[in-house]
Amino acid sequence: MTGTHRILIVDDSKELLDTFNDFFNSMGYQVSVAPDGFDALKLLRNNSLNHFDLLITDLVMPQISGVGLITIIKKEFPDLKIIAMTGYGNEPGALATEAQADLVLYKPLDLFKMEKSITKLLKIKN
Amino acid sequence: MGQNKQPIIGVSNSILKIKELISHVASTGLNILITGETGVGKDLIAHNLYTSSPRADQNFIKVNCAALPETLLESELYGFEKGAFTGAHKNRPGKFKAADKGVLFLDEIGDMTLSLQSKMLHVLQTGEFSPLGSDQEFKTDVWVIAATNHHLEKKILNKEFREDLYYRLNIIKIDVPPLRERSEDIPSLLEYYFKKYSSKYSEEEVAKPEKNIIEKFIQYPWPGNVRELQNCIKKQMVLNDWDKVLDELLNTSPAPPATQINFNTTLENNSDTTSAFLSEFINLSTNSGNLFEDISLKKIKKLACDKIEKEVISYVLSKVAWNRSKASKILKISYKTLLYKIKELNINPQI
Repeated sequence: MTGTHRILIVDDSKELLDTFNDFFNSMGYQVSVAPDGFDALKLLRNNSLNHFDLLITDLVMPQISGVGLITIIKKEFPDLKIIAMTGYGNEPGALATEAQADLVLYKPLDLFKMEKSITKLLKIKN
Repeated sequence: MGQNKQPIIGVSNSILKIKELISHVASTGLNILITGETGVGKDLIAHNLYTSSPRADQNFIKVNCAALPETLLESELYGFEKGAFTGAHKNRPGKFKAADKGVLFLDEIGDMTLSLQSKMLHVLQTGEFSPLGSDQEFKTDVWVIAATNHHLEKKILNKEFREDLYYRLNIIKIDVPPLRERSEDIPSLLEYYFKKYSSKYSEEEVAKPEKNIIEKFIQYPWPGNVRELQNCIKKQMVLNDWDKVLDELLNTSPAPPATQINFNTTLENNSDTTSAFLSEFINLSTNSGNLFEDISLKKIKKLACDKIEKEVISYVLSKVAWNRSKASKILKISYKTLLYKIKELNINPQI
């Protein structure tokens, strides 16, 4: 089962965060959320012992953008898998790929498909 | 290499958050976009990023993208080879070369032309550039920090700014709020710059602001932001009379942009319009004991002149998309004078 996997979800829309939180909780993941890249970075840096398995981040956010977050994270936590999501055309997605996000998804998202990609990415066996 | 760190002064949440953000991102070398109105201190933020970074012992090179015409800016940024154009008698390295391993601060990036934006995008994508007249590409390792007082998102919609360049610069965004939205910073700014500017004088020479002056400063909206506050404090060093400084501030501060002078108004026909028109320049309140005491033709001449100049310069600038060199030609004043007027009259792009 997926119970021990920890996900950090970053999005500046509270509504989306709540939806993600409910959905991934119900799927058995341990979920943490952050409203922007800056808070997410602080959370990751303060939690290096109790580490996350997956970061799901929006790309267009104030202060530290998703692309900025991914670039920093890839250097500091190279094992953390990263899914980027965006609703702003192709440009941010292309930058996220360049920053070596493991997967880029475009909004609107299909949560069930997304969960399938996650099990694949984290190599979770059902 | 100027590592002397100028502190960021303020106690407001937004300033504290900016300081915290700087401490977290200064070592990453990621592209940064600093936004905020004229005079909020975008330079200071850029310089703080630099001095807090591992690049602090390298160069900090600032280029003002609005101060030079396109071709000059291009050769300034990338340099040129001997023979690239008439007058290019020898090779000249550009700012990208000078900023190698250090910081390139691109101020007023929103004023850069589209063709230079394309070239900039190429450098940011590939990390390579070629000087004018050269086939060779040179590797560059610069940390790009850009700043603008424009709303780039609006410029993108108007096809005046490249979206791809925007996203590439906007990896980290630091938005510096105007002073009127963080008036709690005013006392500490006042104290800091007073100490700084008065250090040349003995303590008794220049008077510190009294409580009532500080209070009025807190209430004032500061359209020119921290720079306007600094100018006020500098003025005190000369006048040594806070009441006078305050008086000049309140009486010469530019009217809000919504107020437009109707040049066709006939003063003799409409007494209301006359009063409204005149009240922009003199105090007409009849209940004050000092009626007409305020009228001074010399002062009115200056105020009226400033107001009309401001209107005309704003109009011309808006017509040439804030191309300052074009505007200075149209207005038949030197480029330097125009920049001075823009600053003095606090002219901002209308968005």
